[in-house]
Amino acid sequence: MLHYLARVVQIQHTLSPKSPLRDASVFGALLKKHESMLRRLSDLHQSRIQQSASLKFYSDTKSFLNRFAESRNSIENELDRCSRASDPESRDRLKSDLEKVSAAIADLEKLVAESSYFLPAYEVRSSLDSISQLKESLDVVNAKLLPRKRFAFKNKVVNRDSNNVLGSVVNAVSESGIGVASNEVLVEKPSFRVCDSPGFRNKEGEVLVERFDGEVNGDFTLSDLRSCEVRLIGRFRALFIHRLRDCKVFVGPVLGSILIEEVEGCLFMLASHQIRIHHARESDLYLRVRSRPIIEDSNGVRFAPYRLCYEGIERDLKDSGLDEETGNWENVDDFRWLRAVQSPNWSVLPEEERIPMVNV
Amino acid sequence: MGLLSIIRKIKRKEKEMRILMVGLDNSGKTTIVLRINGEDTSVISPTLGFNIKTINYQKYTLNIWDVGGQRTIRSYWRNYFEQTDGLVWVVDSSDVRRLDDCKMELHNILKEERLSGASLLILANKQDIHGALTAEEIAKVLNLDAMDKTRHWKITGCSAYTGEGLLEGFDWLVQDIAARIYVLD
Repeated sequence: MLHYLARVVQIQHTLSPKSPLRDASVFGALLKKHESMLRRLSDLHQSRIQQSASLKFYSDTKSFLNRFAESRNSIENELDRCSRASDPESRDRLKSDLEKVSAAIADLEKLVAESSYFLPAYEVRSSLDSISQLKESLDVVNAKLLPRKRFAFKNKVVNRDSNNVLGSVVNAVSESGIGVASNEVLVEKPSFRVCDSPGFRNKEGEVLVERFDGEVNGDFTLSDLRSCEVRLIGRFRALFIHRLRDCKVFVGPVLGSILIEEVEGCLFMLASHQIRIHHARESDLYLRVRSRPIIEDSNGVRFAPYRLCYEGIERDLKDSGLDEETGNWENVDDFRWLRAVQSPNWSVLPEEERIPMVNV
Repeated sequence: MGLLSIIRKIKRKEKEMRILMVGLDNSGKTTIVLRINGEDTSVISPTLGFNIKTINYQKYTLNIWDVGGQRTIRSYWRNYFEQTDGLVWVVDSSDVRRLDDCKMELHNILKEERLSGASLLILANKQDIHGALTAEEIAKVLNLDAMDKTRHWKITGCSAYTGEGLLEGFDWLVQDIAARIYVLD
């Protein structure tokens, strides 16, 4: 400042003798201008002094801490008051109150940032910690008092039982409070033929026999049988077994695969390239299979080698590539037991409990 | 981002396609893969986990990921979705009872965003079995016409047992992917 004044004076001195503006009026105007400039500069200087004084006030760590603690307390009190507000009037004001709290926290954060250049590292860290705590508690209060509907993708309710679909739609609507386009969820029953593939269905206490002569490329279905004995003699391509209880099933070689689901208390004598067993309980399976049989969601199933006999079975087995014993009947993979130790869900049927060769 | 673009460029150079085979268990996924690769199909165990086959098909290299379809391991399908160019959904056309299951799983998988750009080939397998539904019937049951209009898809009847229809399906899939990825050729 002083330097500047000195320079101005110097300029004035150098100007005045040589300047063409010697004329008093012009010189007077110049002086006036000069004075106002000086005044402005001294004002500026004054305000700087004041500012640095105030800075000095805050650059004291102790006073910063006081100020910080003061604001923090008032914010905490305000939050506390908001969270306890129960009367409808204060609830209405809640939103703006919480916004004010949020602004106050932001101010406090700014204060810390401005003061960080003189504060010890520890104070900066602890102040920032308490600010983040304040923010958290504000969030908690916000979430509690002003629950906001968050935008989110929701898994659509998929109900496999189509009879219940309507019910689940109604539930979904009432739970979420959002209208669900019903045609998205509603699954109309597909129109396809169900019962014209060959098979035995819905029988109880019968002996069911089917001979496959010549026709080897068909599939066959056994479903919903109770206390039946089933004999399928000859070769065919695929076998589906579904919901059998207390049945005995003797089957000739199947060239493709066999799928068994939901059986209990049954005995199966099967030869096939692939055998999959799902949801089986307490059943014995006598198998010849080219690949490893698998079980899933089953327990109490026991395995033994295939022992079936009928006239011409040797040729049928050979024609189906099932004439040699692969030993796979005991190489069972349990998809519910993916560990090295033996699965508790299946076992080898002890010799003495196996039935003798069956002639059908 | 940089790495991704490099990978894309490398992929472009080698004309690789990543194909994911999924579908219910017992639909014949592994048999199809082995059949188009000309391998022995007489001993195939239900897939516990997955198989990867790299097949040179026309001028492209197909990386085929054949993932097991048992219910227990279906939840792992999602691990294979990334970077899939072509999705092959295999249906056992003779397993009428589980077509509802099949439909539900297919529509679930099609919701997956990571698969939204993939071409979809539906193979109505086991056409050689008498009593199997035709490809048209399968399309109707699976409600394929209701699919997102932006999806490139095709359904083909086939038999992994005889090999019929497989080439037709894969030809379409490879051409469709190529038209998308290697537009400049």
